[in-house]
Amino acid sequence: MSAVGRPTPRIDAVSRVTGAARYAGDVRLPGMLFARVLRSPHPHARMLAIRTARALALPGVKGIITHQNCRVVWSSGDTRNTRYLFNNPVRFVGDAVAAVAATSVHIAEEALGLIEVEYERLPFLVDAEAALADGAVPIHEGGNLSRTDDGHLVPMAYRRGDVEEGFRASDRIFEDQYSSAHVNNAQMEPRVSVAAWEGDKLTVYASTQGISNCQRDLANDLELKPEQVRVVCEYMGGGFGNKNQCHDFDLMAAVLARETGAPVRLELTRKEDYIAVHGRWPTRQYYKVGVKADGTLQAIQLRGYSAMGPYRKGSGAISGTELYTCPHIETLVHPVYTNTAVAANYRAPAYPQGVFGIESLMDHIAHELKINPLDFRLKNATRKYQDKLPYTSYGLEECMRRGAEAFDWSGRWRAPASDTGIRKRGVGMAMGAFHSRVGRSSAVLRLDGSGRYWLHVGVTDVGTGAKTTMALIAAEALGVPVEKITVISGDTDRCPYSIGESGSRTTNFTGQAVIEAVRDLQRQIAEKGLPTGEGTIVGSATPEPRLEGAARYAFAAHFVEVEVDVELGHLRVLKYVAAHDSGRIVNPLTAVSQVKGGVTMGIGMALHEALHYDPWSGVPLNPGYYGARVMTHLDAPDVEVIFVETEDAHGPYGAKTLGEPPIIPSVAAIANAFFNATGRRIKDLPMSRERILEVLA
Amino acid sequence: MSDLTRRDFLQASAAGIAATALTPAAPGAAAAQAAAPRTRIRVAVNGAELVVDVEDRWTVAELLRDHLQLTGTKIGCDRGECGACTVLLDGSPIYACSYLAVWTSGRGLTTVEGLASGDRLDPLQEAFIAHDAPQCGFCTSGQLMTAKALLASTPQPTADEVRAALTGNLCRCSNYNRYVEAVLAAARTQRGADRGEDPR
Repeated sequence: MSAVGRPTPRIDAVSRVTGAARYAGDVRLPGMLFARVLRSPHPHARMLAIRTARALALPGVKGIITHQNCRVVWSSGDTRNTRYLFNNPVRFVGDAVAAVAATSVHIAEEALGLIEVEYERLPFLVDAEAALADGAVPIHEGGNLSRTDDGHLVPMAYRRGDVEEGFRASDRIFEDQYSSAHVNNAQMEPRVSVAAWEGDKLTVYASTQGISNCQRDLANDLELKPEQVRVVCEYMGGGFGNKNQCHDFDLMAAVLARETGAPVRLELTRKEDYIAVHGRWPTRQYYKVGVKADGTLQAIQLRGYSAMGPYRKGSGAISGTELYTCPHIETLVHPVYTNTAVAANYRAPAYPQGVFGIESLMDHIAHELKINPLDFRLKNATRKYQDKLPYTSYGLEECMRRGAEAFDWSGRWRAPASDTGIRKRGVGMAMGAFHSRVGRSSAVLRLDGSGRYWLHVGVTDVGTGAKTTMALIAAEALGVPVEKITVISGDTDRCPYSIGESGSRTTNFTGQAVIEAVRDLQRQIAEKGLPTGEGTIVGSATPEPRLEGAARYAFAAHFVEVEVDVELGHLRVLKYVAAHDSGRIVNPLTAVSQVKGGVTMGIGMALHEALHYDPWSGVPLNPGYYGARVMTHLDAPDVEVIFVETEDAHGPYGAKTLGEPPIIPSVAAIANAFFNATGRRIKDLPMSRERILEVLA
Repeated sequence: MSDLTRRDFLQASAAGIAATALTPAAPGAAAAQAAAPRTRIRVAVNGAELVVDVEDRWTVAELLRDHLQLTGTKIGCDRGECGACTVLLDGSPIYACSYLAVWTSGRGLTTVEGLASGDRLDPLQEAFIAHDAPQCGFCTSGQLMTAKALLASTPQPTADEVRAALTGNLCRCSNYNRYVEAVLAAARTQRGADRGEDPR
């Protein structure tokens, strides 16, 4: 390997450190208008009237859209119900009521205050289980349990074996409950869209993880042909999920631009980003686990509830039980409509909260059975997918062994609550696994007469380094230095279809397409010879690899030492080792950054991040970075990263998934270390100071 | 002049020329602008002296991004929580979203566009690239400017001093380890350069 596996700075790094990188919000078009959105102050209300005349009369206001004059459906805003850009009734604090385009942001903001809305307040629900109670106000017709993919009004179910039989065969039964909070993606870049029409062609500068899907959705919702829509995303300031489609503000900007005949820039405030877009679904998880006296798992049962907000964007799934070998498993998860911010995908959408639950409980069981938590996991960890299919490559056990060695688990582990002082040290660990899919994406590779390669791929590079990864894969396949390759990305007019950067799929899907495009180009060169002068040869590929008879997963094991100040309720991370099997690592430089970042995000989710709702008013209380307590420089520990590079026969050069896995075990690892330090367990996220002091009291 | 292009501005900067009077305006906003009071300020931006008629309500971030086309300064929260908009005012970091443009009158602003000299990157920029500090890159300008001020006052900081100085600069990619590594590496390079050593 000459390119793959070599630590390589990002090919676009200079633009990222000089301010030259152009993000969607940096686009300035002649005559551009600025838009702002009026949002519901009520969690659930019917609008009896909207009066926009005073706002329209304000000099500089060019257009206002509301549910009365705009009936555009936002199809990717809800997978179950018809969700319009503006809905009546409004169903959460932050639901869009109107959008105003004006000649400056100040005027647009002033205009929002001049729009008069009469609301009839309706009963509201902020809690998922309460929303399923008899007599609860239905947020949609048919009640508050959201239907399954195939339209049934039942919880999402997974079953293998017969849990009752498993419980009968068990020596010990453990039952417990855990909960997790709504946590926002909170990418640094505000949500923003710039839309401009030239005749009947729409260009949208979007902050998207998937230009192809964004284009498809915009065309669909605005009743255009896909080729009438161009989506551009040269740089984007953080993804973290649910940006692989179009957003309501993309559509609002496009509609306002059409109505006013001018380009429109619509940027949300940070508060809107918190309350009006989406975050990780909060969960409540009830477990019952049966185990033999020697620690062999017999049965796992989960009943879970996920609060999805009033529109079903995400699955609401709760993952984690897949980490264990166990003959009898039953999970029943209820995605429930609530009058809170919409819940949707955020980095490993179903995982860190579910893994927090199951890994906390398994830690508890190990303790009760007097088995070291590492040994318990080595004994029970998954060896086959759902105890049935082989994994294409399997590094979970090695992640645990190498991680434990680097961490000095055997040296650092002591019985829980061994420290008697004010500051108590403890260690914890947890496992993680994430589906590493293969599938369809495209690449086009052009070789010109000067010997330069132009790689056209529809990636947007959400911060993972995807442009560089694609260049490295092309360089490896071609056997040329990476400097010979120019990557053209982030523009649907210039790039072929791409799966988009969600599900940690880009390296696997689009990377494979790059390899196939190189092969196509090489076949043509073999036939026609190298291009000279003005000549060009273009190779392309849209492979659709499939995997049968096996499952493909990335694995991880995390180890952490914490110190808990039992008087202040403060938890500090002293040491963190993250061992990951993501197959072949294409670019170790950026891969290490991914792991460090994912772990650090997870620590924030474990300790202090949450969007809290006032149960009496249905109002979110702490939107914004400060209120919702994201991690800062002073909070972030050093994270040591280990890659267990298993050989995998699929994916480009055997690369598996990497972007999402690092956040998966981190929350549980911190929780387990807290238990080891104090002998007490926190079962509700986040593990805030109040909660720490509460369980220690 | 009703508008100023980025190219004009950069040429002006490069030439280090004397004051240019500007009345930037959002096109077509004349009616509402009448109601918004303006003040003429003289401010040096990346070394170029400018005279600008600013609306009193404009923040420094607004002046830079919307009226001087210096979009390298980012707005993450627009309320002084995230530090993405950090620029230097007479060498000290400020949150440009929370500082009015009129207050900069008679003073000097440095933005990320002013860090490199020509094609020659600042040692901090070099170190940020080598240590993969920017992931999505949106917080990077702010991290750079705060780090620039830190190294000016504390040329050889410890890791803890770097964390303390940068803690008002959030990074949601949470690449904090890398930022600290990069600043420490830049400090080492700077020390080498001060001693006349070749940093490479």
